[in-house]
Amino acid sequence: MSAGTFEALRGQLHEAATAFADGPGALEGILRGIVDDVDRALSEPLEIFPVCHHSPASALAMARRLRAKQPKVVYLELCEDMAPLLTELRNCRLPVAVQAFAGEVVGFPADWSPLSVVAPITEASAEYQAIAYTLDTPGVELVLVDRSSDHVFQWEARDEHPPAPAEPADPDAPQGEDGALHGDAVGVEIGDLRPRFAELEEHLLRHGRVRHWSEWWHQYVEVPLGDGDHDTYRQVMLLIGSLFRRLAPGDPRRVRVDEDRERYMWTRIRAHLTATGTDPADCLYVCGAFHAASRVEEFGVHGTDTFTISPPSGTTWRHGLIPSSHAAIEAQFGLAGGSVSIAAAEWAKNVRRTGVKPYRLEGQAGTKKQGRKAALPTVPAPSGAPADKLSGFLGRPPALDRLDEAELLGWSVDVVRAARRNGYLASTADAIAVFETSILLAGMRDRAKPTPYDFQDAAVTCIEKDVVPGRRDVRRLVESMMGGDRVGQVGYDALPPLARDVHDRLAPLALRLQQRGVQRALLDIASRPELEACSDVLWILRRLLPQGAARPIMGERRLGERPIQESWDLALGTHQRALIELGYEGVSIEQVLEQRLRRTAYDPRATTGAVLETVEDALLHLRSRRLADELGTRALEVLSRERSVDGAPEVLRRVRRLLAYHRTHEPALPAWIESFVTTGYAHYCTLLPTAFTDEDATVRQVGATLGFLFSMEGLALSLGCDRTQLELAVAQSRPEDPAKTALLWAARTHLGTLSRTELRARCADLLGNPLVVPSYPRYLSGFLHALEPVPALADFVVEAVSQAFARLPDQVLLPWLPSLITSLRSGGAELAPLLIREADRLFPGRLAALDAWTPPWEAPPPPVGEQAAAGPHAGQGAALLAAHPAACDALAGLLGCDDPWQPAPAATSRGAVLLSAHPVTGEALAALLTTG
Amino acid sequence: MSDLLRAPAEIKYAEELDWLESVDDGPKPFSWRLSPKMVRLFVLGSERADGLDREISQKWFGDRSFVERSIVTLASDRGLLLIGDPGTGKSWLAELLSAAICRNSTLVVQGTAGTTEDHIKYSWNVSMVIAKGQSRASMIPSPIMTAMERGAIGRFEELTRATSDVQDALISILSEKYISVPELDSESDNIVFAQPGFSVIATANSRDRGVNDLSSALKRRFNFVRIPVVTNKKSEAEIVRFRTEELLRRHRIELDVPPTLLDVLLQSFADLRASAAAATSDDEKLESALSTAEQIGVLEDAVLHSTFFGERTLSARTLASSLVGSLARRDPEDLALMNKYLHGVVEPRSKEEGGSWPEFLEGGRDAIATLS
Repeated sequence: MSAGTFEALRGQLHEAATAFADGPGALEGILRGIVDDVDRALSEPLEIFPVCHHSPASALAMARRLRAKQPKVVYLELCEDMAPLLTELRNCRLPVAVQAFAGEVVGFPADWSPLSVVAPITEASAEYQAIAYTLDTPGVELVLVDRSSDHVFQWEARDEHPPAPAEPADPDAPQGEDGALHGDAVGVEIGDLRPRFAELEEHLLRHGRVRHWSEWWHQYVEVPLGDGDHDTYRQVMLLIGSLFRRLAPGDPRRVRVDEDRERYMWTRIRAHLTATGTDPADCLYVCGAFHAASRVEEFGVHGTDTFTISPPSGTTWRHGLIPSSHAAIEAQFGLAGGSVSIAAAEWAKNVRRTGVKPYRLEGQAGTKKQGRKAALPTVPAPSGAPADKLSGFLGRPPALDRLDEAELLGWSVDVVRAARRNGYLASTADAIAVFETSILLAGMRDRAKPTPYDFQDAAVTCIEKDVVPGRRDVRRLVESMMGGDRVGQVGYDALPPLARDVHDRLAPLALRLQQRGVQRALLDIASRPELEACSDVLWILRRLLPQGAARPIMGERRLGERPIQESWDLALGTHQRALIELGYEGVSIEQVLEQRLRRTAYDPRATTGAVLETVEDALLHLRSRRLADELGTRALEVLSRERSVDGAPEVLRRVRRLLAYHRTHEPALPAWIESFVTTGYAHYCTLLPTAFTDEDATVRQVGATLGFLFSMEGLALSLGCDRTQLELAVAQSRPEDPAKTALLWAARTHLGTLSRTELRARCADLLGNPLVVPSYPRYLSGFLHALEPVPALADFVVEAVSQAFARLPDQVLLPWLPSLITSLRSGGAELAPLLIREADRLFPGRLAALDAWTPPWEAPPPPVGEQAAAGPHAGQGAALLAAHPAACDALAGLLGCDDPWQPAPAATSRGAVLLSAHPVTGEALAALLTTG
Repeated sequence: MSDLLRAPAEIKYAEELDWLESVDDGPKPFSWRLSPKMVRLFVLGSERADGLDREISQKWFGDRSFVERSIVTLASDRGLLLIGDPGTGKSWLAELLSAAICRNSTLVVQGTAGTTEDHIKYSWNVSMVIAKGQSRASMIPSPIMTAMERGAIGRFEELTRATSDVQDALISILSEKYISVPELDSESDNIVFAQPGFSVIATANSRDRGVNDLSSALKRRFNFVRIPVVTNKKSEAEIVRFRTEELLRRHRIELDVPPTLLDVLLQSFADLRASAAAATSDDEKLESALSTAEQIGVLEDAVLHSTFFGERTLSARTLASSLVGSLARRDPEDLALMNKYLHGVVEPRSKEEGGSWPEFLEGGRDAIATLS
């Protein structure tokens, strides 16, 4: 590598080595060390093939080497437990990621759960070439040698913090939804070759005059290596790997993991060689360049066997393929936006240019037809520079070859067309300018040919004149033109049984649910009853998948209702990963749902409300009485353990709903709900006195407790509960808070220990006493909450509110009004209609009627006598009593009352009494009448 | 260093340019004095990797790709239009580029509402016309026409301030590359052709866009390079330091700017920018664009004030009053915003961090009290 194409790279690396070595002596040491590293790797009897991730040059060199060498065994740096899945790759549209997933962790901190490791695989990668070659060539074995997914976490556990995903290269870059395709999994990748400390990377970027790492790599390694022969390729990659390793010791924790991985891999390789007796010369070891330049003792076929591989933890791992995308890979591994897409474009170009036939799994889904590929013109390498001769390669003049020029022209025309379609004023003149500017920019940046990055800059310079919000900018246009983000798809056959089952069961909808994007499903169940099964599946999916995967637009599912028509927005293709991960939990969605419901219910922190919800879900989605009964019994257990009334409102709501369902749909109530009601009755009776005094219990909660007691009372008493318990509980309650006091009064009114008149009198006292008047609104709030347990009190609450408006002084009324409105809106959504209906009944409907209107509570109470006379039968009892006093007297005697029955005086009208008492008025009137 | 109050870049850096020209062996487009790579080196400064015998200082701070795109545009057929907020260094970049390419950055037309077509093309020396009639001798060429004749770079500052009809005079200059002078009869004289190397660098203020927006025909003849406001704290500190030193040298003032005060200045601008970005209406943000040039202005003002009226050391108090004085342009809107900033952001910070902030806060309060 004396001169030529690699001159620039050599300069860059030398510069970096000089800058980061401590002195001239150290520099020499580093350089000698690098030579040693390269030498060691090259002299290893087992051929080491260093690669870099997302490097088309690596992939191309790999394809070439595999064709030339035809190894019998390929050792690949990939988690060893992922091996069985690789054959499924042919059913998928790349990029996809191999995933190892563990929902329940054993031996790791519980908060790490769920554990997930992904290894994305793109077509333009060396690993795919190796996989395709080994799987499709008979007699060739592929051995994955890297630590298992379990060890990924085990080794992190030593340092007691979970492995974090890489930082994004450009934090400002917008992250689309495709960027999150891998979820929060830890990524593993073959050939992560990147300086391990920021200063070195910054140095290389600054001196390389590039903006980000991907561009540096593309310019200084990728392009020069594109046509390099095997030896050059190996030397360059080893050199870079060794240099980065020597210059950047980086984080000691990471170094230890890296070295342990090397030990692990070599241990596994040696074990395999010994077990099978394979000749190392027939094998190929594919690993990242970083690991190829290793200096551990265990390195090599003859390395020491001192490393012991720790046994796996008890965690059960499940494996599957999930869709990936270029954007997701970039986000996960901190690459610049668009770099993986550009690598894919570069790969396609290199394949065409060099005529190398890449390996591809037979029947690989989502690839272009072979015939079309072959029809493309293959441009021979320039004459005088055969690709396999190092010297010829290095001496090649840096000039545009025909394909590049044609390609650049094509790009220039395409970008102008794309810009025009997106509303830019662009013309052929711009295409010419873009072409010219790209070449000028490349020349200025010391590049033989314009790179896609140069082209992007040129397009922005020549075409972008206005920034219009919402319009795609030229940079994005170029990115999408280069192939844009490609999203992989896992084929039907490679899906776990659960996902296949879901697709099978949704087949009657006749939608292509594998496709990405939102699709509308219309289910007219009334006319096509077979769709009800689909509806069941969709409701379960809605419960299990993240938001947006299945979203009902019309239709709802409630206990005891039958669906008639539903419409759904389905995006199962977009959320394929979530569906696949469900597949790790069970074989059918019902099973997964059942597991999840059980897990929720048996969670030590579960509340009664949450458990009742699972009961409801079991009935609603699984229609399983057995499970519902089991969970209901669990709810009973949880309820009896609870020591506060915090969950009372939810418990009340759910129990009412479940009771209503069982009453209408089943001949008899399930045993658990009966005991739930009786236990709840006793339980809440016990808690009531404390709840009234407990400062933490809110009025709403106490109200709901009372609501449970009063509304379940009938059922509870019929099942053998005793009302005295409730009466005693109420009698023991001595709240201090005004709101709760009001609630207690309402409860006592309901129980009959406090009459309405007394209640009214107490309120009047409150309003009349200037010392307590400021707390009146809080009493009112208690009355409002009392509507829940005692709805019959509605007219009184209306009265109390009206009184408040009428009599509260302004300094109390005005600050309270806003809080009344907000609390009614937030807390009393269910109670407000009741209140309004009652107010509508009491108040006059028309303005004219207002003048003559007297509030019912101000109307004088009808006199007792009148009241007695008013009823048609009121007088009958009295008459009977007067006629036969003996029975009454006997009873009075028994009760110890000796006063005998006095016959009532003849009823005289009150007017007559008045008249006889004051005769003067009558006489005067008579005199007037007679004189007139 | 010359005795001029402000020497143009080609005079100020004459010696550096001479040296670069002497070592430049790269291909030069047209009549350029330096190759594109050397132009870039002149503007952005040298690195050790460039292998030069002497160090070239960095003169313009910003993304490398902006400079590259600008240079490449000038080497192509199109004019260069630098767009950006006020104070982002557009004119400075234009000056450096013309100085490096043709050693003349003074062929400038200033776009204003009063700019006429004559300023772009040519006008007549009336007395000479009366005396000798219309001839090339009695014609006064515009800076643009001079640039055409010499194959140099013509500059047009604030292009969007000039009215549309005046702007459109540039269309034919940029596409046909000649100006015809119909008043002259002679066949050879009535057309002024541009020599190779001629190009135009125009600047436009993105805040003024829409005042006299460019016609699509003119837009097509320019490549646009958008210069953003520098928000990277590190490079902004670099720019402020560089420019302030230069200004201090020009005023022959020897005064140190303590790094902590520079931090205070940068931080306060960053805060104000953040609040301007969050504002929903114009009334909620300062009228100022809060550009880097504005920061330099604030610092310069503070330095001058403390030199001539103060104790010859820069204090946080002076900096605060100069900040308020420079940024509060509208009464009461801007003053109210500054007041809000001082009490909402600076006050808690001065309690938390201390340092120069308490003094800064006090100075700011006093300044607002004086102004309102």
